[in-house]
Amino acid sequence: MLNYITDLSLIDYTAYALQFLLIFIAIAIVLHKNNGTIIILIASFSLVTASLYVINNAPDVAIAEVAIGSAIIPLIYVISISRQREFIVLDKAMDDFIISDNQFTGVGYVLLKRFSDFYHLELNITNDPLLCRLGEGKDQILCEETNVDLIVTKDPTTNEYVLKGKASNILMQKLEQMTKDYHNIKVIKFKDRDFGE
Amino acid sequence: MSRKIILLTLLGTLFVVFTMSMIELETLYNDYGKLYFLENGFADTGSRNLVTAILLDYRLFDSLFEAGILLIAVSGVIWISKHDIEEKNAQFMIDKYKTPDLFVTFSRLVYPLMLTFGFYVIINGHLSPGGGFQGGAIVATAILILYYIDADKETNIGLIVTVEKIIYLLIIVLASLSIFTRGTFFTNFFALDASPDTKAIYLVLLNVLIGFKVALGLWTIFTAFLKEGR
Repeated sequence: MLNYITDLSLIDYTAYALQFLLIFIAIAIVLHKNNGTIIILIASFSLVTASLYVINNAPDVAIAEVAIGSAIIPLIYVISISRQREFIVLDKAMDDFIISDNQFTGVGYVLLKRFSDFYHLELNITNDPLLCRLGEGKDQILCEETNVDLIVTKDPTTNEYVLKGKASNILMQKLEQMTKDYHNIKVIKFKDRDFGE
Repeated sequence: MSRKIILLTLLGTLFVVFTMSMIELETLYNDYGKLYFLENGFADTGSRNLVTAILLDYRLFDSLFEAGILLIAVSGVIWISKHDIEEKNAQFMIDKYKTPDLFVTFSRLVYPLMLTFGFYVIINGHLSPGGGFQGGAIVATAILILYYIDADKETNIGLIVTVEKIIYLLIIVLASLSIFTRGTFFTNFFALDASPDTKAIYLVLLNVLIGFKVALGLWTIFTAFLKEGR
């Protein structure tokens, strides 16, 4: 074993180092939450793979890997992520905050409409009874497991409207800035949980 | 927590099995094929790049189906992204104000170089590393960069796919020409004892066709992605 290690040349050490780097990048891709970071990690994964191909005397495959893995696929991911243009709101408040007289004329609706128009999003308000019947404690799971971006509820004790969403959603930070002048609106951001927790 | 431990154990097992299989590789290894290709590859096919020699001459039948797979993938992507309702505003959606100016300027600078390099890789496929598929992918990336420069660019997907299909048929026809000259399908249509320079004409022709086919196919795929969700 010792002989084997001492016989290695510099290029072999580089190859081993790159292979370990590959494993670390792969784990990081699985564990990361931010989409932009994941795209960069995927691109760097392909770049490291391509250099391993070159070390193993396969330049043809390396060119294909660089062109596809670290140029086309990240660009397609960037396009697809920028294409997520719907802002889905689950209305659990059930009063005239959003829907008054069976029409979208409430204060909350005007606020959310202005917000989504500003960011060129399509506002989609739902009060699906199946989702609304879930308890308060399920709100975080609802945000994580479904494609609901925002949950609107009413606090019965303080009469405040509570807007709940994921902290990793950049729109939540913008919404918090926008609503900080309204005294009866509170924004709650759910912290992202670790994988498997 | 337990899920995490299971995940890590699985990853560790995978790693160990992979390492062990790499050690066992030595006993399975033989080099008859390699020696044959090294000895006869250039004389048989006229290609300095033995990968191209195998891809476009010895194993052309397999390569044809590989090119067909891309065509099928493109058809699938178009079928999924097809909309029944005619969209009123089907322009491209890379927003001018969202793309950084630095990226746009740099893309303008890099775009012609990428295009030139792509064509170089395609045409020199039989001499240097690369070939139709790799060069086509580079050309497709250059075209994709073009959409970042000019966000309002309109593309006719139907026309691109039609041209791609015609090119695929041309590839099959070019590959089958050898039935008239050599008596077998799917090989070089020049005689076996022709000079390597003559044989290279066939390789360049096929590489260019495959390069255009791959570039058009990838172009279609990301055009479908660009139109989606508008």
